[in-house]
Formats: sequence, structure tokens, C-alpha cells
Amino acid sequence: MPGPDLLSSQGLRLDGRRPNELRRIRCKMGVFTQPDGSAYLEQGNTKVLAAVYGPHQAAKSKSSTEGVVVNCQYSMATFSTGERKNRPRGDRKSQEMSLHLRQALTAAIKTELYPRSQIDVYVEVLQADGGAYCVCVNAATLALIDAGIPLRAYACACSASMAWHGGQPEPLVDVGHVEEAAGGVVLTVASLPSTENIALLEMSHRLHMDYFDVVLSRAMQGCRDIEVILDKAVREHLAEGWTKEDVVTI
Amino acid sequence: MADLLLSSTEKIFIVHGVQDDYRSDGRSNIDYRPMELETEVVSHASGSARLRLANTDVLVGVKTEIDTPKPDQPGLGKIEFFVDCSANATPEFEGRGGEQLANSISNMMQRAYQSSQAFELKQLCILEGKQCWKLYIDILILESGGNLYDAVSLAVKAALFNTRIPFVKAVLMDGGNVDLQLSDDPYDCKHLDVGCAPLLITLCKIGDKCVVDPSAEEESCSVISVVVGVTGNTKSYCSGKEIDSVKSLERKCSTIGMNGSGSLAPQTLQSAIMQGMVAAESLDEALGQALLRERQENVILKKHAYGFLK
Amino acid sequence: MPLDYKRFNGPEDSISYKRFTEDYIKSYDQLYQELIDENGVRKDGRAVDEARKMFAINDVVTQAKGSAYIELKQTKVVCSVFDPREIPHQNEFSQLGQIYCEVKFAPFSCPRKRRPHAPEAEERALSVALRKALEPTVCRHLFPNFQIDVFVYILEHDGACLAVAINAAGLALASAAVPIYDIITACTIAVIDGKMIMDPTEAEEHLAIMSPETQTNHGLITMSTLSQLRQITDFRQIGSLDVDCVTKAMDLLQKQCMKIVPNIQRVLVSNVIKYHKERKKLEEEAREREEALNKKMEEWKLLLNAG
Repeated sequence: MPGPDLLSSQGLRLDGRRPNELRRIRCKMGVFTQPDGSAYLEQGNTKVLAAVYGPHQAAKSKSSTEGVVVNCQYSMATFSTGERKNRPRGDRKSQEMSLHLRQALTAAIKTELYPRSQIDVYVEVLQADGGAYCVCVNAATLALIDAGIPLRAYACACSASMAWHGGQPEPLVDVGHVEEAAGGVVLTVASLPSTENIALLEMSHRLHMDYFDVVLSRAMQGCRDIEVILDKAVREHLAEGWTKEDVVTI
Repeated sequence: MADLLLSSTEKIFIVHGVQDDYRSDGRSNIDYRPMELETEVVSHASGSARLRLANTDVLVGVKTEIDTPKPDQPGLGKIEFFVDCSANATPEFEGRGGEQLANSISNMMQRAYQSSQAFELKQLCILEGKQCWKLYIDILILESGGNLYDAVSLAVKAALFNTRIPFVKAVLMDGGNVDLQLSDDPYDCKHLDVGCAPLLITLCKIGDKCVVDPSAEEESCSVISVVVGVTGNTKSYCSGKEIDSVKSLERKCSTIGMNGSGSLAPQTLQSAIMQGMVAAESLDEALGQALLRERQENVILKKHAYGFLK
Repeated sequence: MPLDYKRFNGPEDSISYKRFTEDYIKSYDQLYQELIDENGVRKDGRAVDEARKMFAINDVVTQAKGSAYIELKQTKVVCSVFDPREIPHQNEFSQLGQIYCEVKFAPFSCPRKRRPHAPEAEERALSVALRKALEPTVCRHLFPNFQIDVFVYILEHDGACLAVAINAAGLALASAAVPIYDIITACTIAVIDGKMIMDPTEAEEHLAIMSPETQTNHGLITMSTLSQLRQITDFRQIGSLDVDCVTKAMDLLQKQCMKIVPNIQRVLVSNVIKYHKERKKLEEEAREREEALNKKMEEWKLLLNAG
């Protein structure tokens, strides 16, 4: 398959990573005081802020007796991309992203616990450098945890692409902006890694069925790796709170 | 701002506190809350700053584009303000909910930067009548804990101070075409002269007195506030040898506006403007010092931005 | 808002050829000399502290509850005020009534450019400013959960349009019998090269906003006041002025606003007298008709009795 050249002869990617290597993930929970939960997460140069409000009484038009309604809004800062964006939200792409985000998060939240309620999740992309959707899902998960909303499992999202190295197919995990722009296939998976469930699967460009499994399993592996990182961050965040203040007061 | 519920007794408590010059968070009427400022936080922008004033969080990115100047102002560049109230601040801002507030802030900023004594647009000119720089100043409001105008103006000034504009050589070719030559070296650029850029000071009238830097709770106790835009002093933004060559300019009002549904007596307005000038002076000086220190640290220590990770 | 489909609008970034003509690219000094001569007399013959003559009438729009038309030489503004109505699309009850303001420029109103139909930033800013000025004026607690619509149409713009719009709105509110605390009046002052110029024309406003080479004061202030209550409802300044200058301008503006009040009152009073007279005349006519009818009845009764 004559795809774009995403791997060098040494088997390194355009930004110097190995095929199975994630970008550096750094995160912080509880960045803001006013929302019920908030988190900041950066994956390489993609930086996202997420805030969660709720659960609170649902707006009449949205209310459902089945379970909680997850209301998402995805917006991108006007300075987040290389070329200035005119509108931070409301365009087709952001609306689609909001819907996808909602799908992934609804799968993770124990919705049945809060009928007739609503949870607002707002994500703000401060800097976009590929894989914005994945970073948003990961940040939103952290914000939900910070807000204390019961989840079935961590919702993690990761993307994967595909390249050839020495005649062999080599899937690439966590696609960056340069690789996205080069026009390779991008498979995005939002999953609950600990239950092995897939909440959302989306693919752009063409990929032969034979290689689909390889790419998917690489993306799933990425999700599992991210879960480990998020879990560690959550534990550290909670431990921090305990040692500093709460232990003394108890 | 999210879910701010105050009972009438709480409001009375705040009002009485202001009368006695002792506010509910321990400040006097002329004190600001603690601020955190960091520049160079967004790598996609030519200049950026993040300001956190207690609960209020503002992120500003400056982007530059090349544009043609207006025909009746051939020697001037352009500057445009855009405010986005993120829903992160309060669910009310979801969708188009924050538009009204955003418009009033960006209008106020545009008016404050209008005069050449506040911001010299000539420094954005590349080739007179043909090419100029256009600065897009994008302001993102991430959390609102009162006093947005002051926070925005401080962050904008810091972001402009941090903005680097590449050196461009423009040559007029045949047929009126312009040939632009950009240097290959990304460090080959100039800083803007923003010393006299204005700061907005909000004076919130609570009871009979005006306070600076109102918190969200205090804002809800007041029906009228005055916003004064005061030009800065270039001297506070120069370091080393430059200081002597710059002459100190008088501080002036570059804009005045009123917010809220109430009205004011003329004497109150006058004293509010005076109070605003005094507050602006110390605020401007403090900002200048902080920015100079930050610039120095960036050069010497090669410091990386903390951003939101701190 | 109707869109202008029938006309070929130029490309968005097109510019009127007029803006390349000499009139538009004059330098600051040229403009200054043109507008104010060395004796301090302005182009239209006024002294620097002299306002234009005002023409005001009310009840010009028959469909509206109250309306007003004010003209300051070339600045012409119509304002109409409609009855209070329930606030549309609102879930929460609001204790205070609301005022909805909309300011529009006629497409042909401005000398510098044609106004497009779509609402644009300047119109929105003026609408907000007008609302800010009117809110403290109207007794809003008398209309809980209701809104009053105020529409201002600027037919011709030759400076001080916000001040004129506020004056017109005040007059229209009064003639619509909306309870107000006081009559609101507004006026504009321009500061050019340190000189205070009362009630500027568009050209003077333009010059006041233009930045001079020197560090002199320049700017534009619009202030609206409730003169009996001695309150300032709105104050907006642009440009670069020092505090003394602002204070001085404030005094001048206050005096000028006071001067406008009797004029507005006269219009209102004459209107009341006019209606009173009309009503008297109508009552008179009605009485005459009734008398005639009674007379006829008497005659018929006599005929009936006789017959």
C-alpha cells in the first residue's frame, strides 16, 4: 500500500516517537474552584481544559426519566490552531465533536443513578495539535472524577494510524497533527479499557480489512496505557489532598 | 458566578463592611486581590498571557496577520479584540449565552485602545498604504469571580508586552505589487511598544462608597459601577538604559463607561474617576515590574511555562 | 431583519471610491483649520460652546404608543415606544421590567459609508448605551415581567447621534405615558486640541477621535442626566483626556443638559394643551349634537301627542 511515509528507515515517526509510544501526558485535576469538577490535560502540544457542572435538575426539554442527561459542549479557543479560527463554537465540526463526546461519556457514567437530572461537561481546547477529541475525552473523564460522579470505568480515547516499515504493516498510536495532515488513516477509539468495551469508534480514510484488527488493537492498547496514566494521576491527586489538610483535621 | 446565591442579610453584611472600609475578605476598599500572571503560555500565538485574579481566570492570545491598511489611515495598523466567554466559567455562557457580556467587554477594550496616546498603531505599519500588521487579540474567559474588565485589560497588556512581531522587509514591485521578505530566523523579531497601553479599572458603588476589584458577591450588591480606562506609563516598562531616553507621560483617561442599571451623582462620578486614576498608577507600575522580571527570567533561566499545571 | 437581496452588494472588503478622494485623506491639521478658524468660530458659524438649535415634536408615528422626532440641523432621529408587553421567551420571573432598545441607522444616513441592512457592531453598541441610559429613568418596578420596546431610527447622522437618540427616547417615553422618574436629557462634547466643542458635527467628531501628533487632549464625551434628581445615568468617553479636562467637560455637559430640559417640557406641555383643546372641542361638539337631538325628540313628542 503506497501510503504517506510516516516512518523513517530507523522506524521512528515524524516527531521522533516509536510507533507504540504515546505523547507525553501531563494533567492536573481541580484547576478551577467554581465548577463542581475541572481538569486540565495536555497530550504533547494538545491542551484541553474541562469543567463539569452537576448533576442538577435538568432543563424541561431535556429531562429524561431513564437516567441522567449528559450535556456536552466542545469549543476551541480562537488562538488554538495555527491559523486563527473565527468562531470558537457552533460550527459543524464542534457540534459533531460535542455529540461524540456525549456518546463516550454517557457510556462511562452510571446514568441510571440520576433520573431527571443533567450533567454539563464543557471542554475548551486551548491548543490543538492533533487528536483533540481523544484529549477531550480523557480530560472530561478526569473532570467527572473530580466532580465525584460515579463512573462504570475510566473512559479513555486514543487514536491510531498505520504505516509500513520494511514491508511490514506497523500501526502507530496517538496520532499527532503532522501525521493527521499527511493524510494517513486515523482510527479513533473511545473505550472503557477495564471492561474492554468500545464506546465510540470512528475512522477516516481507507484501510484494508486485513489490517483493521492490528490498528484497532494498537488503539485499544493506547487506551489501556492512558488509563494507567490517568489512574495514577487520580490517585496522586487524592493522596495530595489527604496528606496536606484532611489528615490533620481528622 | 456560577450559582451565586446571596441572602439579603449577607448583602447587608457586605454593604456595612464596605462602609467601614473593611470588606468580607479582609481587604480595604482600595485593595486588589492576589494575582498570578504568566506570559508565553500558548505556543500557537505570537504572544499570550494568563492572568488569575483570585477566582477570575483569563487567557489571552495575540495572533498577527498581514492586512492592507484602511485607505484613510494608510500609515496605521489594525487591532481587533474578540472576547469569548467559555462555558467553563458558568453554564449560563453555553452556546451564545455569554455573547452580550463578551461584546460589552470587547467594545470597552476597543474604545480604550482607540487613541494613539494609548496604543500607537503606527508601529504596526509595514509599507505605508499597502501592508500592515493586524493584531487579533483573543480573550478567553475561563472562570469569572468578579472584576472581569480589570483582569482582561491586565492580561491583554501582558500579552501585548509578550508579543513578538517578525521583521518583514516589504519592497514595492512593478504594478503596485508588494513583495514581502520574512527572515528565516524565528528570533529575528521585535517587541511592541505597549508601555502606554491602558488598564481598565472598575469602581463598584456599594452603598455610598466605591470599591476597586469587586468580587462576584460584591458585584451582586451593587447596581452601578464605573469603568475607567487609564493610559500607562512607558517608563515602568523599560529596563536598564532605555529608562533615561523615555520621558514620563501624564496618565490620561482613554475611556470611561458605566455598567449596571443604576445612576450616579456627578460628585460620585468625579471621585470615582480620581480613585480609578490612583489605582491604575500603582497597578500599572506593579504590572510593569512583574513583566520585566518575567522577561528577564525567560532569557536567563530559559524557564518553561507552567500553564495550568501549577 | 430583511436582507438586501435585490442589490448587488460589492465584495465584503470593497471600499467606496470616495474614500480615496482628497476630502477623506486630509491630514489632521488641514481638517482642524477647516473646522475651526483662528477666532474660534466653527465651520457652521457657531461659537465653540454653542449647541445646535433643536427641533422636537412628539407623536409622529401613529402606530406607536408614544413617539418623537428630534432634529439638530443635519442629525435627524425618530424614536417610537410601544406598550409594555410580557417578556417573550423567558422562563424566570423578573421583578423589574425590562427595556428593549434597538438603534438602527438608515442605509443612507452616514456621510462616510452606506449602512448595510444587517445589524452591526456600532448599532449594537448604541443600543446597549441607550438601554443603559434609560434603565435608571423608567420606574421599572411598576412593570414586573414586562418589557417596553424602544426603537430608534437614525435618518441622518451628523454627529451626537447617541445624545439625540436619548433625548428622543426620553420624549417618546413621556408621551407614551410610561412612568419615569425625571426627564432624561443628553448631550455630547468633543475635545479637540484641548478645546471644548459643544454638540459636535460628524466631521468634528471624526477629528476628535483622530489622534493628533502631539500629546494634547482629544476625545468625545456623551453624558445623559436626570436634571431634577441631579443624577448621571450614562457617561461614556473615548479618546485621551486628563482628569481636569474630564471634570471641566462634565460641568459644561451638565449645564447644557439642563438647558435642554425646558425645551422638552415645552413640547410635552404644548402637546397636552393641544390634546386638551381637542378634547374640549370634541366634548363641545358632542354636547351640541345631543342638544340638537333632544330638540328633535321634543318636536317628535309634540307631534306624537298632537297626532
